[in-house]
Amino acid sequence: MATSSGAVTATAPRVNRKVLVAGLAIVLPLLAVLVANLGRDPHTVRSPLVGRPAPPFRLVPVGGGTPISLESLHGKPAVINFWATWCVPCFQEHGALVASARFLPDVQFLGIVYEDEEGKTDEFLRERGTSYPSLMDKDGRTAIAYGVFGVPETFFIDPEGRIVEKFVGPLDRGTILSLVAQARGGGR
Amino acid sequence: MTVAAYALSVLLAAATPPPPATTSRPGDAPRGQPLSGKLLDERTDEVGALLRCPVCQGLSVADSPSTMARNMKAEVREKLAAGYDREQILADFEHSYGEFVRLQPPMRGVNWLVWFGPAGVLVAGGAVIAWALRRSPRSGGEKATSPLPRDSDLPSRDTLPADPRLAAAVRRVRMLAYGWPDGIAPKERS
Repeated sequence: MATSSGAVTATAPRVNRKVLVAGLAIVLPLLAVLVANLGRDPHTVRSPLVGRPAPPFRLVPVGGGTPISLESLHGKPAVINFWATWCVPCFQEHGALVASARFLPDVQFLGIVYEDEEGKTDEFLRERGTSYPSLMDKDGRTAIAYGVFGVPETFFIDPEGRIVEKFVGPLDRGTILSLVAQARGGGR
Repeated sequence: MTVAAYALSVLLAAATPPPPATTSRPGDAPRGQPLSGKLLDERTDEVGALLRCPVCQGLSVADSPSTMARNMKAEVREKLAAGYDREQILADFEHSYGEFVRLQPPMRGVNWLVWFGPAGVLVAGGAVIAWALRRSPRSGGEKATSPLPRDSDLPSRDTLPADPRLAAAVRRVRMLAYGWPDGIAPKERS
């Protein structure tokens, strides 16, 4: 503040404690939420199905044949991959899934075709090859039962039929092997 | 305050384990009457409007044209026709997608904060304002401290500052403004 003599008197800024407490009450919870979620992928919604029995299904393989049901897989770990031919990340992971299914004969790999045509799917599998069956989910009920948001999404199921992990996005061989190891151990 | 309440609810939601399974479980027997005809159409839209389309941005199953929403709507219709009630159907979808799939959060756990938090914050805000007004010096009979001087505190029009140079300047301004340098003109006085 300027005085009549032209000198300036410096006054220390006074902290209003009430304003400070109110500010901290707003900022601290926001910071806590930020810190708690820093390492989380914002696109991932945790599936409520993890740790629960996998929803049953009975679907016909691409190109026809005997329907395959979830019950028929019990007793060995399973990898269920929801995919579609129009999905670019599904192209990327296809090779890793096919190779892993060959490498792990004691694990049942299954593809479930999501919102796609059987003809296109058949053509895709002929061109790129496969080592496990893909099933047609024509009315989308299995995808809904598994809480699928989009493709690719992959479920790792233990020998008792419980979902151990859900993976969203394209898989690589390393991730498949580590999640299958988890499924073998029942998620422990 | 509203931001704080929201942040607190988010924090609690993050810290709280998922709520226990709802009273209805997939595979339970239908609790309602099988519906058909126009009533079935109406109820399908009604329940579809309460379900979030998982592949859309903020659209309900009833409003979305996506294949996923159409499949979900067909499932709702089928279940209503089989006699499942609204809560059973919502719980069934929640079993797969979590509470996220409900467009209206159910009244349980931290969701109470979402339902009644804003009203609570409004009441608390009103209480704070009432308390602040009561404490205000104006209502206490003390002189209000306003940054502007009152009219009675201002010098009158014919007062001159003590500084002769400033007084001369004031007289010049008065001359320009009123056509008279000494404050109130004689014709105004009469």
